[in-house]
Amino acid sequence: MKNIKQYRLIILFCLCFLAVANVNAQSDWPVPAKENENMSPFLFDDDMVLEGRISYENSCTSCHGTPGQDDFTPMAPPPGDPASDQFQLQTDGALFHKIKMGRGSMPKFEDAFADDELWNIVAYIRSFNKDYKQPLPNMEGVEIPEYSMKLSFDDNIDKLVVKVFAKNQPQPEVSIAAYVMGTFGKYLLGKSQTNELGIAYIDVDPTMPGDEEGKLSVMVKASKGFGRAKMNEEMVMVEPTIRKSAIEGRHIWSTDKMAPVWLKVSFFITVFGVWFVLLFIVIGLRNINKANKEEA
Amino acid sequence: MNETITKELSESQIDQDLLKNVNWGGKFKLWLAFLAVSLIICLYYYYQQLQNGLGVTGLHDYVSWGIYISNFVFFVATSLIGMLISSVLGLMNVSWVKPLARIAELVAVAFAMVAGLIIITDMGRPDRLLNVFMHGRVQSPIVWDIAVVVTYVAISVLLLYIPMLPDIALCRDKLKNVPKWQQKMYKFLALGWSGKAKQFKIMHNYTRILLILIIPIALSIHTVTSWLFAMTLRSGWDSPIFGPYFVSGAFVAGCAAVIIAMYFFQKNYKLKDYITVDHFDRMGRLLVLVALVYVYFNINEIIVPGYKANTADAKHVHEMLYGHESVMFWLVQLGGLVIPFLLILFRPMRRPLPLTLISIIVLAGAWFKRVLIVVPTQLTPYYPIQNVPENWTHYSPTLPEIAITVASFILVLLIMTVLAKLFPIIPIWEVKEEINHNKK
Repeated sequence: MKNIKQYRLIILFCLCFLAVANVNAQSDWPVPAKENENMSPFLFDDDMVLEGRISYENSCTSCHGTPGQDDFTPMAPPPGDPASDQFQLQTDGALFHKIKMGRGSMPKFEDAFADDELWNIVAYIRSFNKDYKQPLPNMEGVEIPEYSMKLSFDDNIDKLVVKVFAKNQPQPEVSIAAYVMGTFGKYLLGKSQTNELGIAYIDVDPTMPGDEEGKLSVMVKASKGFGRAKMNEEMVMVEPTIRKSAIEGRHIWSTDKMAPVWLKVSFFITVFGVWFVLLFIVIGLRNINKANKEEA
Repeated sequence: MNETITKELSESQIDQDLLKNVNWGGKFKLWLAFLAVSLIICLYYYYQQLQNGLGVTGLHDYVSWGIYISNFVFFVATSLIGMLISSVLGLMNVSWVKPLARIAELVAVAFAMVAGLIIITDMGRPDRLLNVFMHGRVQSPIVWDIAVVVTYVAISVLLLYIPMLPDIALCRDKLKNVPKWQQKMYKFLALGWSGKAKQFKIMHNYTRILLILIIPIALSIHTVTSWLFAMTLRSGWDSPIFGPYFVSGAFVAGCAAVIIAMYFFQKNYKLKDYITVDHFDRMGRLLVLVALVYVYFNINEIIVPGYKANTADAKHVHEMLYGHESVMFWLVQLGGLVIPFLLILFRPMRRPLPLTLISIIVLAGAWFKRVLIVVPTQLTPYYPIQNVPENWTHYSPTLPEIAITVASFILVLLIMTVLAKLFPIIPIWEVKEEINHNKK
């Protein structure tokens, strides 16, 4: 008994120590002042939260768990739950910086996500904080360019061609991301940047299944600084899908009318054949009575 | 030639022995009343089901085939024995089965007729049975099943009736103290039989055609029943040996049913000289033979999927062998099949009483075996059962369901007792023929 009590004390002590150590570990992660005050150039909206969620589930859930569920992986130091105060009390800039740069067992996501995608993740984390109000940067004197895009498909090189303009001027160094819209979500086609002519090329796999005309629903995003633009278009880019009716022709799984001939023939010949014999016997039973009279 | 009936019996003695049971005694009326009252009680539950739908049963979205369909399979199985005894053994000139042929045919007719009714009890809206005829697809095993069951009933009835013609004529001539309607019925059914050689020839010809015709029909009736399961892509059903597996199991159930009926008739109708100890001995051996074939198919059915460690079929088998269903599985396989046939290997166990007791256990085992075939598969669909009421994850039959199932057994007993009271249960003319033959 005594021993168990002692063990309990030791375990309790260790747990307390770990808890304190963790808090220390978290607060020990210094963020440069400039980064700490960094703000999202985008207003967090549902669209961003949704995209952030997809990125989070792909790259963050394995350690941080589902936000608000406290089901993060037990590690030292613990990764923590992004819905907790430990995260939510930090500035947007600090979260952004930590995701981007990483430290220790927290990977560096700088190469995996573009800045706008990192902000999506921050938007997702903030969506668990009801009291959160997004701090907005001082926009005085900043002009937000309005981008317009033109999409075309070059079937010689199988590339999606995106031209970006602002006030009829081609825009260089704009980040482009193109997606194919599916029924249940979008599929990333590729990412690129516009060249000095304002043109970006994105590879298209021509073997992708399109609709009956070879059309795909394409969504292209352009972003640079505070400027963002989005565009949807149906484009003929891939092989058309030739749809065949599953019940075309005679099949075992088709309607009665379209039953296989061999089945119809054998079924009806058998059933009618057997019943013909039975009928023959039933009618033939009259002969018994006849035989009686004949000889009498 | 027929060694089983050894006693010297005169023709008039035979007539007297076998016709004396065709009457309406007080004991029989009591038994009939008991059956009728039980049937009415059970039918009250069916009325409830008609009124409230299948909700009064334990069936639900996952287990939509419960003990009704298990019972249906069991009934179809048991009815197959008519084919084995009167047709296969009859055509092979196995003469000792001749006195038993009518009992076997009676079992076949009663069980096959009621099997059709059981399908209807499994329908919440029985009036929709018509849809099978109006909109049925020729590709659907249910259409084949209905065609085959109806045909089998028709052939079985003819096969019961036509070889009985001389006996019906005998009833017509000898039974003068039965009610008038019964005399009229014999007169009508005897078709003017007078024992002429030509009449015998016609009878033999027709019987022969039917005996040959019934073999493929009987085989297909139970094969098609097995296809109702085997053509569905589900672990535990999706098996290419389901046809022969079902047919071999059917003979086990049928043999047991015939042995029980034999014992009942021998005791109640005092037919010791016609259904002899030797008959039980031979039926016992037949039961061992068919049980061995069935065990062979069972081993195939279990070991082949069970060998593959991680398929859905293997999981189903493991569930049977040591999982949730294991108690029932081992009770049925060992208690209802293996131990009985091992016991019957010993001669003392093939005496009438022990053999009958063993047969009752085998028959009960056969019934639960059908439940094991039908129900567990539905509880393990490929898409896991999720987000449904808790009681949908298992199945237990309710009182109305059990009562309606009991009703089907009562109906079988009713059909069998009434037929066995209207007509001689042993083929009188064949027994006479045998004895004459032996004398020569």
